Amino acid sequence: MALEALLVLGLFAASLLPLVAWLRRQPPGSARLAGVLVWLGAAGGLAWAVFAYPRPVHDESLVENRPIEVPSDGYVSSKTCRSCHPHNYATWFGSYHRSMTQLATPEAVLGDFEAGDVWAHGERLALERRGDEFWVEREVSDGEGAAEVSAREWQQILMTTGSHHYQVYWVANGNTRELDPLPVVYRIPEGRWVPRSAVFLAPPVDTARDESGRWNNTCVHCHATQAQPRLLGPDEIDTRVGEFGIACESCHGPGADHVRANADPMRRYRQHFGDDPDPTIVNPAELPVELASHLCARCHGITEPRSLEEWQQTQLAGFAFEPGKNLSEAREIVECCAGEEAGLSPAEIERNLEREAPYFWPDGMVRIRGREFQGLLRTPCYTAGAMSCLSCHSMHQSADDPRPLKEWANDQLKPGMSGDQACLQCHASYAEAIEEHTHHSATSSGSRCYNCHMPYTVFGLLKANRSHQVDNPDVAKTVETGRPNACNQCHLKETLAWASDFLSEWYGTPPPPLGADEKKIAASVLWALQGDASQRALAAWTMGWAPALEVSGSEWTVPYLAELLLDPYDAVRFIAYQSLQDQGRVEEVAYDYVGPQPQRVEAAQRLLETWAAKPPSGPDVFGDEVLIDQRGSVDWESYERLTQDRDMRPVYLAE
Amino acid sequence: MAGMHETSADASAPLSLGRRHLRFGWWALLAFLSVGAALEGLHGFKVGWYLDVSNETRRLLFTLGHAHGVLLSLVNVVFGLTVLSVGAPGFSARRFASPCLMAATLMLPGGFLLGGIVIYDGDPGPGVLIVPLGALLLFIAVLFTARSVGARALSGAARGNGNASRE
Repeated sequence: MALEALLVLGLFAASLLPLVAWLRRQPPGSARLAGVLVWLGAAGGLAWAVFAYPRPVHDESLVENRPIEVPSDGYVSSKTCRSCHPHNYATWFGSYHRSMTQLATPEAVLGDFEAGDVWAHGERLALERRGDEFWVEREVSDGEGAAEVSAREWQQILMTTGSHHYQVYWVANGNTRELDPLPVVYRIPEGRWVPRSAVFLAPPVDTARDESGRWNNTCVHCHATQAQPRLLGPDEIDTRVGEFGIACESCHGPGADHVRANADPMRRYRQHFGDDPDPTIVNPAELPVELASHLCARCHGITEPRSLEEWQQTQLAGFAFEPGKNLSEAREIVECCAGEEAGLSPAEIERNLEREAPYFWPDGMVRIRGREFQGLLRTPCYTAGAMSCLSCHSMHQSADDPRPLKEWANDQLKPGMSGDQACLQCHASYAEAIEEHTHHSATSSGSRCYNCHMPYTVFGLLKANRSHQVDNPDVAKTVETGRPNACNQCHLKETLAWASDFLSEWYGTPPPPLGADEKKIAASVLWALQGDASQRALAAWTMGWAPALEVSGSEWTVPYLAELLLDPYDAVRFIAYQSLQDQGRVEEVAYDYVGPQPQRVEAAQRLLETWAAKPPSGPDVFGDEVLIDQRGSVDWESYERLTQDRDMRPVYLAE
Repeated sequence: MAGMHETSADASAPLSLGRRHLRFGWWALLAFLSVGAALEGLHGFKVGWYLDVSNETRRLLFTLGHAHGVLLSLVNVVFGLTVLSVGAPGFSARRFASPCLMAATLMLPGGFLLGGIVIYDGDPGPGVLIVPLGALLLFIAVLFTARSVGARALSGAARGNGNASRE
């Protein structure tokens, strides 16, 4: 600081030398005296200001109550990348990858902290914003067992997770750098607080799960760059990251060598004008499809440590994976559900099933969002070496992409990849005779590649999502696994037998043996009433899906959505209500999916009464397959029978 | 402002004052162009101390320092030419403006450059405190110069009118 002050005052003095000389030339008198006084006053004022100047320095290493951002081991952080790659930096900065983990600044926090009190499982949380800080008052337990004492305490929100669908908030729990999540999250599309358990497909719970330290031992691996959990002991959590959020070096690897090498301008221009890839950095676009996909699979796939030692190492230094390497060298890539043919022992098969079953349909197709790589793994386009994640997605919006940055960031698809072009870039011959292939009008939703080959059979983020296992519709698989098929997801009023007949006639798909209900009751009705929680969630979602409603109508869905408004699973209720909103029935039902049960029952009853009071709006609105005759009378006997036959096995799908 | 009235001793001084500013302006221009070359070097060699996002404030201040330095150097050259071309009337005022302009030429860009050497996240170092002082001096210099040039123009017009009436 002394040198800094000396330089400033030196510059000041030197600059005023001509003025001092001018003053000396003036005749002695009041003007000269005034000049000298002004000069002395300015010098004194400047000296005072230099020493009193505020010098706020943020030193991350001094922070003790949360994970810290300290790039090391060749990581340099995105702050260094921007000067040479401004476009890539800007598009990444606008992506949700960047904001996956953020410090709780006013720019990052999306939740309404002026909402006052919010509730989760009977616990009251008081929210408050204090200037640029966000605080919560909650009950904090001290001690264990009989010695446990609870007291209310104000805690500062330190970090956030997510910025797209919902945002999670983290507070220090007092154990070094360990963080706890708040039991409520902020749903961004609806602009409201909900219990954290209510954003997953999870069996109902009375209390919030204890997720103490979850950011440090789990989230850190994928929600930060250069993750080092550093769980050194129960009371020594020293979590560090290179950068919060999923930044440049998550995909390109550590950048120090690249930065050092490219400080040489001659080298840079040789690279610009040459064709050779730069060996000092990983460029995912130039990797073979397998290695390019492994970059994404590290987080968008299900992987496990192979041994206790590997797990322990992960708890200290994070995943032993660097971009450009084969992921399977660092982690086991989980493939459900290998059996004896893979050389596994019965014990291993049982262990794997227990571990993997929640994530997969019984035939091994992944059914949870965020694990798309497991779908890609079983896709012929990928196994043949022709398709990677980057065939359709791009981590940087191209300069000629006309879409607003926010629209691109929604799913980071390349231009045109939200439509048939994604498939036609390789399967171009289908474009010439699309109707011959699809047996649907070329302009109908039945001729869209995605709708048949990547149907909505994956759950996550409170909605149905497209499967990333490119597959063909097959009713036999629906019967075997319970997974909805593409035909019946659109033709909601039709039976499995109907879909099976067409698939057999058009494509020679062998028809499976079907039960009596499967022959005469619409598949969507069976899934909604009889299915497990994930089938019910998917059925509820398709009842609000525009292409399906265009084909199947919406009026007949009301009794089923009304039933699903009372589902024991929060997520199913949420989706059922969303579908009613999408159908424009929001006026008919005031409903809160996490509100008190009696209010929910009342809302569902009112919805049914309103629906029953309206005459059918046209012929063929109803039908025997949907258990409603043409006059609008519901076959309550069959309805009750199917509901009582519901698959109540617990389903837990938390992406 | 008593010292700003014209004296006979001032009559021979405009030439030396004008030349002094031309000399100062051209040397200052060389110095601040050199600063520009140095900044280009920082770009060329991708020096993180200057280019990284976390050093954005430094980059802005150095750019401002370079730009103000070059511009004020040229203003000095123009001032010198003004003194030489306009001549004696209003000279005292310009002689006061001269040290103010020279000080501003050092303080404005110097303050930006010094403020950028040590930065505090988005805030510059205390060197930036000199900038408003330099701006004040520049304002004074321009004000006095403009007034004296205006006085010269008026006196020239008056002389023209006098000649016309004698004819």
